[in-house]
Amino acid sequence: MSVSIDISFKLNGVNVRAKVTPGMSALEMLRDELQLTGTKYGCGEGECGACTITVDGQSLTSCLLFAADCDGREIITIEGLATDARAEALKKSFVNCGAVQCGFCTPGIVVQAWHMLGKTQHPTPDQIRRGIEGNLCRCTGYKKIVEAIADAGALLS
Amino acid sequence: MDAKVTTTERPPAAPVSDITAVETYVAPRSLAEALELLRAGDVTILAGGTDLMPQSKTGKARFQRVLMNIQRMDELRGITEEKNFVRFGALTTITELLDSAMVKSRFRALWESADHFASDQLRNAATIGGNICNASPAGDTLVPLLVFNARVMLASKKDAAVATRTLPLAEFFVGPGRTHRQPSELLTAVEVPLPPNGFVSEYFKFGTRPALDISTIAIGLGAVRSGDRLTDVRVAFGALAPTPIRAPKTEAALNGKPLVDAIEAALAAAELEINPISDIRASAWYRRELVHNVLRRMLDRVGKY
Amino acid sequence: MAGAEETKTNDSLIGKRIPKMDAPEKASGKTRYVHDINLPGQLHAKILRSSQVHAKIVSIDTSAARALPGVHAVITGADVPWQRPIGVAKDHLPLKTDRVRSPRDEIAAVAAESEEIAAAALKLIKVVYEPLPIVATAEESLKPGATLVHGDDLIVPGPDGKPQVVHKGSKDNVAMTFDYGQGDIAKGEADSDTVVEDVFWLHYVTHCCMGVSGVLAEFDAQENLLLYSNTQVPFLHKREFAELMGMDPGRIRIIQPPIGGGFGSKLDIYPFEPIAIYLAKITRRPIKLVFTREEEFAASPTRQPVLLKMRSGCNKDGKLTFRDVETVHDNGAYTSWGATTPFVMMQTISSLYRVPNCRYRTRAIYTNNPYAGSFRGYGNLQATFAVEAHMDKLAEAIGKDPLEFRLDNAQEPGEVTPQGMHFKSCGFKDCLKTAAEHSDYQEKFRTSISKWNNGNPIKRGVGMASMLHVGGGAKIYPSDGCGTIIKIDDFAHVTLITGASEIGQGSETVLAQLACEELGLPLSAVTVVNSDTDIKPWDVGVHASRTTFIAGNSAIGAARKAKTKILAAAAAKFNVEPDTLNLRAGCVIEKASGKKLIEIDKLIRSLHFSDKAELVMTTHYYEPPSQKQDKEFRGDVSAAYAWATQVVEIEVDTDTGIVKVLKVTGAHDVGRVINRLGIEGQIEGGVVMGQGYALTENLIVENGIVRNPNFRDYKLVTAPEIPEIDISFIETMDGEGPQGAKGVGEAPAICVAAAVANAIYNATGVRITALPFTPENVYRALRSNSQPPTWIAAA
Repeated sequence: MSVSIDISFKLNGVNVRAKVTPGMSALEMLRDELQLTGTKYGCGEGECGACTITVDGQSLTSCLLFAADCDGREIITIEGLATDARAEALKKSFVNCGAVQCGFCTPGIVVQAWHMLGKTQHPTPDQIRRGIEGNLCRCTGYKKIVEAIADAGALLS
Repeated sequence: MDAKVTTTERPPAAPVSDITAVETYVAPRSLAEALELLRAGDVTILAGGTDLMPQSKTGKARFQRVLMNIQRMDELRGITEEKNFVRFGALTTITELLDSAMVKSRFRALWESADHFASDQLRNAATIGGNICNASPAGDTLVPLLVFNARVMLASKKDAAVATRTLPLAEFFVGPGRTHRQPSELLTAVEVPLPPNGFVSEYFKFGTRPALDISTIAIGLGAVRSGDRLTDVRVAFGALAPTPIRAPKTEAALNGKPLVDAIEAALAAAELEINPISDIRASAWYRRELVHNVLRRMLDRVGKY
Repeated sequence: MAGAEETKTNDSLIGKRIPKMDAPEKASGKTRYVHDINLPGQLHAKILRSSQVHAKIVSIDTSAARALPGVHAVITGADVPWQRPIGVAKDHLPLKTDRVRSPRDEIAAVAAESEEIAAAALKLIKVVYEPLPIVATAEESLKPGATLVHGDDLIVPGPDGKPQVVHKGSKDNVAMTFDYGQGDIAKGEADSDTVVEDVFWLHYVTHCCMGVSGVLAEFDAQENLLLYSNTQVPFLHKREFAELMGMDPGRIRIIQPPIGGGFGSKLDIYPFEPIAIYLAKITRRPIKLVFTREEEFAASPTRQPVLLKMRSGCNKDGKLTFRDVETVHDNGAYTSWGATTPFVMMQTISSLYRVPNCRYRTRAIYTNNPYAGSFRGYGNLQATFAVEAHMDKLAEAIGKDPLEFRLDNAQEPGEVTPQGMHFKSCGFKDCLKTAAEHSDYQEKFRTSISKWNNGNPIKRGVGMASMLHVGGGAKIYPSDGCGTIIKIDDFAHVTLITGASEIGQGSETVLAQLACEELGLPLSAVTVVNSDTDIKPWDVGVHASRTTFIAGNSAIGAARKAKTKILAAAAAKFNVEPDTLNLRAGCVIEKASGKKLIEIDKLIRSLHFSDKAELVMTTHYYEPPSQKQDKEFRGDVSAAYAWATQVVEIEVDTDTGIVKVLKVTGAHDVGRVINRLGIEGQIEGGVVMGQGYALTENLIVENGIVRNPNFRDYKLVTAPEIPEIDISFIETMDGEGPQGAKGVGEAPAICVAAAVANAIYNATGVRITALPFTPENVYRALRSNSQPPTWIAAA
């Protein structure tokens, strides 16, 4: 029987409340308690990046974040990027550059790239590759993903 | 043939120590509050969570009754430059190390270890305090911190007052995953003395990727170059012993001697100071070969700065 | 710019860069994969797997698990006496009853109100085992007196309650054998001036789809079964599930949600799907079962590991004379598609380059190891690794340039191989020449060798390898066809219902392009429906790189019938002959002048709301003109074949053994490019998958246990490691292919490792015949501190 913890935080710009257990990860909270399934379970150990979200302006893997630790913080998931201009440019580039195949890794990479472009306006291909080194993709071989992110960077300036 | 019977039943009397053992979750905002909680005992500390969460999921971590999240304590944040040293708050993230121009110029090997750490997402969450207290023999920042003679600050509350003590990092590790931190103590900061003028340093982490690898071997090297020789030599090894270690014999073989002549003696000394194991990442033999070849290259390179 | 090109009007869509139709949804995180689907009232299922590698099951006590609040059912084999065997050889039951042969074996399953409760219930299940000796290698398995992995008959209660043998026990550990021959091996050896022989080891890797396995199962009020399944072969599985459940196949409906990667991992029935169905039946609730990543590593099929011995020869004029190959396939505990990789391997051994005499033999041997399924390339990576190593070795032995040697033995259009494969379109030589030219292969090859002894520990090298694979389907099933239904509504919106499944490779978009090409409509006018077996016509499934070819021809057939109907109606309306008309840019036009007669949608409305009262609805089933192989493995099994040549440039640090892939230059005979953006993506992804196979991926199996069931220690290639990739397309315009296209899905992964092996030799003078080329493995080989793989005498 797990103790229940009440937390409140900002999720995609909206104040929300949730009841979580100590061992629950932020990923589990988002998917199972809050029904936001855009953030994916890929490995549960921070190695694949499919669960990437941003917390207080930093991207991180939500599978390693304790849900209770979301209390008082600002969280953005892929769903929260629906109308953001930077994210719109990224998503358009992903589509036009052929960077999406099965698409399972895509939300995590879009969030990570969105975060990266917020820090560095014109990342070089090398910087982009390093920037997404924590995101695994099995389908694309990364080349078009890197092109898409560079493309979006160029479009945004 | 005699039947050998085995069961999978757990001994029922063992106490529950997985995450369901947690009865209270707290997130103190001040050091005093946190130390009070620690004094009461039975506390598991949560910082970035990048080690604690996977260990929780695999059942490797043992949880106490109280789960204490220290990330709301601003006193543990910040990089402060003092006269002779730099203080890194325990909650300094690896990204903060990487983004610091001061760290890149003054503590080059530490900066390089941050650059080879996991991934951007993990660097944003992982803390230097967590990396130290997790005490993995392969911990990325630990090798350069040893090169720079870092020391850890531990705080606790005995009665009403806050007590602090300082310990050289080299004396802090007991074994894989174990340190001299007492259950009632909190690691609040790590202090790194400014290296002498002309000190150069380098961090090597073996891998086929820039990051996202657990070290197979790691080498930290630092020294002052004086003409054709090195002085104030620091050599540290990671993933080559039960804890990250300094290598005094290797250092002695290099200190003050013409570098070109000292390299072979240094490599021979290093051979004796490391104690690699064979695991799924690499064999002990290969680790030894790597140390030999890579350390030679690093020494050749440091001679050419 | 590398992006998409808008084509609104007169331009053909063929060969253009067309973004995938489902990409916007996927990029927004809105796509619902099987993991994201939740049915009202669903229960969560988890499987208890064996804690032993090989053991008798003495007893299973589920009482404590059943009593846990929130648990609705706990089942073992005893609770489903009507379960029937599954898998390619039907040699195992979903829930094991008397014996476990592998740590992935399914002992029990729980359905509970939450995943947490289900996981807690698993811990309360008590199993008593009696350990048996572990058969950890094929070599041990072949020794006289070895423990038999399937020595006993597999018995289930028959319909009349009496025990029924569903799989006979064997007196040895041989699961399957394959034997093939062409020509006369002895003559081949006698004709040779040079013979080389090696033993190769091709290791365990696994698919690592980013989406883990999962399924939802639900019975409705009339006992019809609905499955949300990631299967790549929905119609085959529909029939198999029906047999398994004793149901009428018409009462099973499979819906295929978008899949988080396939690569061949979903072509067999694995225990977790029947188990979910059993729980759904017993609890009368929808059941959702999703793997953890660790489970995905430990309980998913692998690529087939192969120990391969090859002798091959050529004469002094540089003509290949023979290849003689024997393999031992570690079959693991149960048989899945991996055991049948010899079908593909013998094609490469016998027909990649012209070889008059060939012998091929495989023994698939039961052990307690993980078992292999189908995986992109399906044995071809393993076979090509051996063939291309010997091409370089033979060329060197007779002093011939490796490119010239390959060109002298490469087939040309029109050739029929001894196996009966008819190479109608064949761009093999163009692939070789193009890849060599674009990569500066010959120059770099010579330069690398000249630097072997220059004292620099960093070495560079180039390696070449080619591949042959089916490109027009593969007739291994009674039909290799695909059906399409097209309807065009009153607004000229096309609904294209295809049997072909989309597994991320972009088949939907390609089919829409092909239909639009016939109908003169824009891509935005098309909706593709492909994910419901109640709606879509039959297709055998996504495998063998067949979808563009087969489903494409099917779609074209249906679209042409629709076009004929529309032109006939227009011809009647305007009083002209139909063959003077065409469809373009949304209109019916006069062919000769290009003059627009009427918009298509107007025409259709006039057909609908008239005395004729007709809708435009057409169907087409396309069966490729290929043959099933006979018992001697002869037959033109595909309607077309595809080639590729890749040249890989690497850098080796001989002080550490680290191999970096700098560049991959490829030339692919794809018949014709349909979607340039999509095909580039397929090739780039396949190349990186091949890179992982060659260098970084290694599923470590010791004593039957997977030692690294996680991404921390099983290394997929990450973004900073990718090479420069330069691909040329050789468009041979296949006569049967849709718009001339051939299949390409598997090709790019097939010859990377072979090329890397040749490049390592070119860089260092050391030939390594075992994968993977991890730094330690390479370092050991360079320091002569490793043994090449040894053959098993008892094989």
